[in-house]
Amino acid sequence: MSVLEKTRAPEKPAVAREPRVTDEHGRRVRVGELVLRYVLLLAVLALTIGPFLWQLSTSLKGPTEDIYSSPPTFLPGDPTLHNYARVADTIPVWDYALNSLKVATANVVTNCVGSALAGYALARLRYRGRRVATLAFILAMLVPVEGIIIAQFTTMRELGLNNTLIGVVLPGCIGAMNVLLMRNAFLNLPYEIEEAAFVDGANAWQRFLRIALPSVKGTLAVVAIFAFMGAWDDFLWPLIVLSDPSKFTLTIGLNYLHGTFANDERLVAAGTIIAVAPLIALFACLQRYFFRGVGEGAVKG
Amino acid sequence: MAVSGISRVRRQLPTSPWLFAAPGLLVTGAFVLYPFVSTLVNAFTDRRTLIPGQFVGLANFRELLQDDMFWTGLRNSTLYVLGVVPPLVVLPLLLALLVQKNIPGITFFRSAFYTPVVASIVVVGLIWVWLLDDRGLVNSLLETVGAGRVGFLSDQWLLLLSAMAVTVWKGLGYYMIIYLAALGNVPRELHEAAAVDGAGAVRRFLTVTVPAVRSTMVLVGALSSVAAFKVFSEVYLLAGPSGGPAGEDTTLVMLVQRTGTGLTGRVGYASAISVVVFVVTVALMLLVLRADRKEES
Amino acid sequence: MRISRRAFAAAAVAVLLPLSACGSGGDGGGSSDASGKVEGDITFQTWNLRANFKPYFEGLIAEFEKKYPGTEVKWVDQPAEGYADKISADAAGGTLPDVVNVSPDLVAPLAKAGLALDLDKAAPQYKKEYLPGAWAGHRIPGMTGTYAFPWYLNTGPLFYNKTLFKEAGLDPEKPPKTYDDLFADALTMAGKSGGKVATLANVPTIEDFGRYGVPLMNEEGTAFTFNDAKGVELLTKYKELYDAKALDPQALTATPESSGKKFLTGAVAMNPGSALDLGNFKKQAPSLYKNIGITDQITSTGHVNMYVMGVMVNSQSKRKPAAVAFAHFVTDAAHQMSFAKKVAIFPSTAGSLDDPYFTKEDGTDETRVRVAAAKSLKTAVNYTPVLFSEQMKIALRNEVAKALQGKQSPEEALDNAVKECDRLLQQQG
Repeated sequence: MSVLEKTRAPEKPAVAREPRVTDEHGRRVRVGELVLRYVLLLAVLALTIGPFLWQLSTSLKGPTEDIYSSPPTFLPGDPTLHNYARVADTIPVWDYALNSLKVATANVVTNCVGSALAGYALARLRYRGRRVATLAFILAMLVPVEGIIIAQFTTMRELGLNNTLIGVVLPGCIGAMNVLLMRNAFLNLPYEIEEAAFVDGANAWQRFLRIALPSVKGTLAVVAIFAFMGAWDDFLWPLIVLSDPSKFTLTIGLNYLHGTFANDERLVAAGTIIAVAPLIALFACLQRYFFRGVGEGAVKG
Repeated sequence: MAVSGISRVRRQLPTSPWLFAAPGLLVTGAFVLYPFVSTLVNAFTDRRTLIPGQFVGLANFRELLQDDMFWTGLRNSTLYVLGVVPPLVVLPLLLALLVQKNIPGITFFRSAFYTPVVASIVVVGLIWVWLLDDRGLVNSLLETVGAGRVGFLSDQWLLLLSAMAVTVWKGLGYYMIIYLAALGNVPRELHEAAAVDGAGAVRRFLTVTVPAVRSTMVLVGALSSVAAFKVFSEVYLLAGPSGGPAGEDTTLVMLVQRTGTGLTGRVGYASAISVVVFVVTVALMLLVLRADRKEES
Repeated sequence: MRISRRAFAAAAVAVLLPLSACGSGGDGGGSSDASGKVEGDITFQTWNLRANFKPYFEGLIAEFEKKYPGTEVKWVDQPAEGYADKISADAAGGTLPDVVNVSPDLVAPLAKAGLALDLDKAAPQYKKEYLPGAWAGHRIPGMTGTYAFPWYLNTGPLFYNKTLFKEAGLDPEKPPKTYDDLFADALTMAGKSGGKVATLANVPTIEDFGRYGVPLMNEEGTAFTFNDAKGVELLTKYKELYDAKALDPQALTATPESSGKKFLTGAVAMNPGSALDLGNFKKQAPSLYKNIGITDQITSTGHVNMYVMGVMVNSQSKRKPAAVAFAHFVTDAAHQMSFAKKVAIFPSTAGSLDDPYFTKEDGTDETRVRVAAAKSLKTAVNYTPVLFSEQMKIALRNEVAKALQGKQSPEEALDNAVKECDRLLQQQG
C-alpha cells in the first residue's frame, strides 16, 4: 500500500550546465510557437470557463429575453440583476452564505492543523503501528461515502451534535486524503535539516513547528483550498445533519431554488453563480500560494 | 533515505507520535471507518431503514448475482473506468505541458483551467444539464451550423458519454496540477540532449517526458480509476435518480443510494453492494500498482 | 498484544450490533394516549414551504401559541430534494420532529415502524371534520388505524397548446375527452408534424394505470395486480404512441420539470398541471399563455387523481397533547381555507369545498380552473397506493421503459414490474 511512496519523483540531479535557447524562465521562445501556444490556451479556456460564462449570461437575461433561441445569443440584450434580487427574496442568501463561510472556515482550520499533525506523524515519527495508521487513512479514502451516511448520522446524534454546525464540520474535519497529502509533503523534505535540529536537542514538537511546517506552506494552501471547497460544496450531509433552517448552508438554499423554480432557468442560473462566485474569488486570491504548493511537490504524490 | 535519522528519532518521547496522529485517527475512525465496519456487518443482514435486521448469511450476495440491475451497474461502473481513465491520464499531461512554460498571462490560464475543479458538483450538474438540454446551448449551436439536435440526455449511451465528458471536464484541472508538479522535476537537460539529437516534439514527449512522469501517470491512473468506479453524482445529475432510460445508466453507487436510502431502504442489501464496490476499488488500486511494478522490473 | 481472531470478531459484533439495532425507532410505538394539557415545546416540519409561505406559517404559529399559552412551536422547513432521506435519518436516529408534513407513501413505513401516532385512537373526535376520503387517505393496508391528519389536496386539469392543435388540423376548441380521443389526436399530431410535436411527455406512472381503470392492488393490500389485461392494453397503446413519436422520445428520461419545460417551449402539446402552473405560464411564457386551452383530466373511471398531503404526529413525542393539538390546528377548516386562498391547493375538510371561493366563477381562468378542480375533488381518488415505495416507482418506470423501447412485450414488462414490486412489498415487512 505504498502508492504515495512509490511515485515520489526522482531527485533532481544537481548538474548545472549552460542552458540552451529553448524552454522556461522567460527565455526566448519562437514567435510561431508562441502563437500556437496562445491559440491552444484560448481554445482550452473556452472549454473550461465557457460553461460558467454561459450560466452568467443566462442569469443576467431579463424575463422578456428568449433564452432558448437558435442561434444562441451570448450576451444579454438588456442585462439585469433582477434575477439575483429574486434569489435574495426567496431565500436568506446572506445568512446561508454566512453559515457556509463558518463551516468552510472551520473545516480549513481543522484540516490544516489535523492533517499536518497526522501527516507529520506518518512521515517522520517512528513508532509501532505506523503502518497500520497509514493503512487506516488509505482505507478511509476508498470507502464509498454514499453507503455510510445514516450510520454517520446515528453516531452524530449519539454525540448530541446533530443540528449543529459542529456536526456538519466534524466528519470531514480531518480528511484522509489531506493527511496523505501532508504525509507526502513531509516525506519530500530533505531529512538532514531536521536531523541537525534533533542533534541540537529539539523535540518532535519543536522540529515540527519550527522546521517542517514552514517548509510545506504550499501544501497547506492546497489542503486549505480542498477543505474550503469540500465544505462549501457539500449538500447531502448538511441536509441530513441540520434541521433548523437558520443553520442551513448555501447549497441547501440553492436546492430550495431548484426545487421551487425548476422551470426558471434564469433564477437557477443566478443561484449557481452565487454559489460558485465566492469560491472562484477565493481561489483567485490564493492561487499564488496554491501553485507554489504545487511547485513544492504537494499534490504530485 | 536517512536511515540513521530514523533510528535516532526513536529516542523521542514515546507518546508524542500518537498525540500527533490522534485527532486524525479519531475523526477518521469514528466517522468513516466505524460506520463502514457497521456497513460490513449490515451486508450480512436483512436490515431495513426502520427495521433492525436478522443475520441472513450470504443471502444478499446470492441475490446480487441474480439481480439484473446489479450487473447493469457493474457494467456501467466498469465502462466508466475504461471511458474516463485514459483521457484523464493523457489530456491533463498535455495541458500541463501547455501551461508549463512561463509566458505572459500563464498564471491566469492555469487558474482558469482549475475553475471547474473548484465548482461544486451540484452546480456543475446544473450547468451541464442546461448546456446539453434539448434546447440548450450545445443543441442551439449544432442547429445553427446545420447539424440536427442531439438527444444527449435521452439516449442511454449518449447519457453515459455525456456524464463521462463532464467527469473529464471537471477532472482536467485537478490532474493537470499533479502533472505540473511532476514536470517541474524533469531535468531540462534530458530535453536538451534529445533536441540536440534532432528529436521532434512528439518524439521528445514520448522518449523524455513520458518516462520521466511515468510514476505520476500511474498515480493519476490509480486515483482516477478508483474515483471513476465510485461514480455517482455526474450520472445521477444528468440521467436522473432512476438512471436514464429503463435504468440502463445506473452505476453501482447509484444502486447503493437507490436501494439503501429513503424510508423503505434495504440497508442490508445496499451494504452488500457497497462491499462489492469497496472490494473492486481495492483490487483496482492493487492492479494498477502491480502493473506498474512489473513494468518497472 | 495478541488477541485471537475469534475473540476480536466477537468483540466487533458486540460493539456493532447495538448500533444497527438503534435504527429501529424503538419499541413499536409509544402509547397512543394524547390526552392531557396542551403545553411545552414542539417542532413542526414542513416540506419546501418556507420559500413561498413564510408569513403564513409564522402567523399560524403565533396564533397557536396565543391560544395555548405555555406552548412554543419551532418551525423547520426542508427543501424538496432529499426529504425522504432527511426523514429516514431522523427516524433512524430518533430525532423525528413532533409534527411532520408527510405524504401517504412516507407515512406507511413510519407507521409500520411504530413512529406515527394512530389518530383513530388518539384523536377520533376530529375525524368528522374531514372529508371521509381524505381521512382514509392515511390508512395503511394490513394495519388498523389512520396515521396522519389530511392536509391539502391537489388536482388539476390538462393544459394544451391551442396553436399546436390548430397546426395539426385539430379543433382547438375540442380537446380530447376520452382515452380513445387522446390517443387518436396524439397520433394525428405526430403524423402532421412529422414527429416533431409530441402530445404526451411522460411514460405512464402508477396513477395513470389507476386512472385508466386498472386494479392496482388486491383487496388485502398484499400483492399488486396492475399486470391484468387492462394494464397491458394501456401500455400497448403507449408503445404505439412512442413508436409514432406521439409520446415524446425523451419521455423515458423525463422529469416533471423537464416535461413542463417542453410544454412551455411548444415541443409537447399537452401537460397535466394545476392552477399553480397557470400563474407560472402567465409570468414565464406570456405568448403561450394566450394559446393555452384547459380541459379536464382524462379518466376511464370517472374519478380524477388527487395528491394528498398529511400532517403526522410522532408517536414518540414527549408533548403528544400539544403535538396533536397543533397538527389539528394546522389542518382545521379555518386554517386550510386561509392557506388555500394563498396558493392553488384545496382543503380536505368537510364542507370547505362548498365555500363560494370554490364554487363561484368570476370569468378568469384561475377561477375557472379552481372551480372545476374543486368540483372534481369531491369524487377524486388518490390512486397511488400508500405502500408504493420510491423503489417500486423506479422498478415500474424501468420495466415500462423497456417495453416502450421494444426490449420486451408489454405483458412481460408488467409481469416483471408486478413481480419486483411484490418482492419489495414483502421485504418492507
